[in-house]
Parts: sequence; C-alpha cells; structure tokens
Amino acid sequence: MLELGLGNGRTYDHLRGLFPDREIFVFDRHVAAHPDCRPDPEHMIEGDFRDTLPAAGARLPAPAAFAHCDIGSGRPETDRAVAAFVGPALDRLLARGAVVVSDQAFELAGWTALDPPSGVEPGRYFMYRAGSA
Amino acid sequence: MSAGEVAGSRLARMIARLITQRACLEWAAAEIREIDGPVLELGLGKGRTYDHLRRLLPDREILVFDRFVHAPRDCVPPGGTLVLGELRKTVADATARLAGRVALIHADIGSGDRSADSALGADLAPHLAALPRPGGLVLCDRELALDGFDRVPLPPGAADWCYFIYRTPNSEDH
Repeated sequence: MLELGLGNGRTYDHLRGLFPDREIFVFDRHVAAHPDCRPDPEHMIEGDFRDTLPAAGARLPAPAAFAHCDIGSGRPETDRAVAAFVGPALDRLLARGAVVVSDQAFELAGWTALDPPSGVEPGRYFMYRAGSA
Repeated sequence: MSAGEVAGSRLARMIARLITQRACLEWAAAEIREIDGPVLELGLGKGRTYDHLRRLLPDREILVFDRFVHAPRDCVPPGGTLVLGELRKTVADATARLAGRVALIHADIGSGDRSADSALGADLAPHLAALPRPGGLVLCDRELALDGFDRVPLPPGAADWCYFIYRTPNSEDH
C-alpha cells in the first residue's frame, strides 16, 4: 500500500488500522506527523515526489495494491502540475487492478474512474482502478 | 461499526471532533438567537470554527482570542475583532469590558497536554463564568468548573466526542 502525503498522519493512522497486516510505504517531502503516527524509517520515503516516486520501484517488495494520494495544496495550478507528474509515476508502482483513492483527479490511459461511495460530494475525491483497461 | 470500519484512528477522532463541534455550534447559534451580545471565540487555530460561526451568525460581533495567527488568510478576523496575546491576559481584559454581556463563548483550548489544559481552564474559568449574560452559553473542548452553571447535554448530531456545554444560572429569569 502507498500513502502519498503523510501530513499529520491521520489517514495513515486509519489505513494501518484498516490493514494491520499490509506494508504501507509513505511518501512526503517532510515528516511532520504526530510522533505516534510516523512509519518506521524503512517505510518512510522522504523527499520530492519527482525524486522519490521514480526511484521507489526498487524499494517496494511487490507492485502496490492500493494508493492513497492526499497531495493537494489548495493552489489549483500547482496541484494540477503535481498530479500530472504523480499519475504516470504512480502507475508504474501499481499492480494490475490496484485501487487509487485521491484528492486530485488523474487522467491516465488504463485507469478507470470508480464511483466514490455514497455521501462523497462529486468532485471532492476520486477513485480509480489501475490497469484495468 | 460496520465491516471495514476502524475506530479510534486519528482520522476517526478528528472526524468525530469536527462533527461534534459543528453540531454544538449550530445548536448554540440557534439557542442564542434571542440573546443579545457578542460571541467570543477562544482559540482561532486554523479558523474552521470561526468561519462556521461567522456564517451562522452573520450579524453578530465575534471577538477572537489567540496567541498567534496561523489561520488561512480568508479566515483571519478583521482588525479590531482579533485579540492577540496570552489568553490569561486577553480574556481577563475582556472580562473588565464585557462582563455579563456576552451571548456565547466557544473555547477550543485543548492542546494535547492535559495538565497544561486543565491549568489554563482553571485560570480562565472565573472569566468564562463572569462574561455571559443570563441565558448565555459556554462551549468548551475541556471540562470547566463554572460556578453555578448547568452542564447541558450535547445536541443531536454530535458524534462520539467529548465536548462541554454550560448555560448560565437562572437563565429562565432573563
């Protein structure tokens, strides 16, 4: 499992509760999470996504089944540029059929948009199945 | 809990906290509709509850107290309504001006350091008890010893999160 954007560690904390038996690799520029919500150093990949994502393939024991991207900054232009880079870089790390949940929209050949669960406002959060085309 | 849910994560707790705050603020805004006086927000933080309060009470003066500003620019209270400094000092100063005149106080003062929080709560309590007018309310994320105040149950819609609502004594007389 991949978590892009650790932030305060809230969603990471939730993910590890949902999937106690899965390895979760976390990417962020800096570690700023609560001390009890930090991954161990082996699973914390610090740095710019542009550096860390392309290099991450060598570090993952297997293609990822799931990725959560919480990478928005609130600046639409920046976020679009980050998403345009992250999408293809992330795609190379995913298993066929992996699920991506994201605060940014992606447009990738081979990714199929999924309907978010009921209760999610349209356009707020995005879900995809990778490699299903 | 349904299958796949996980309780107690920082995400789940944050959501419970935010749902509870929203329910309490909306309930309190309706409760004070007929009660004159400004609203005091202790702890601006990221400005979320301030932003909600000003939308709930667009015609009400909202005075905001915090030590620093780290809210987004569009959630920073306009000049004159933001009081920066140590709460012990700024709230005491407010009491000198506003005792018995405030309609609602929302004190979001918890820090994660429980003993510091209870010390701050104990120091602020005499002011929080003196500020409201009859029928006025005090909402707080920490328990407060407000002499003579009644603890009010949380409104419908609050989540599984600890929050405290107090109403001034003898509010039926106002």
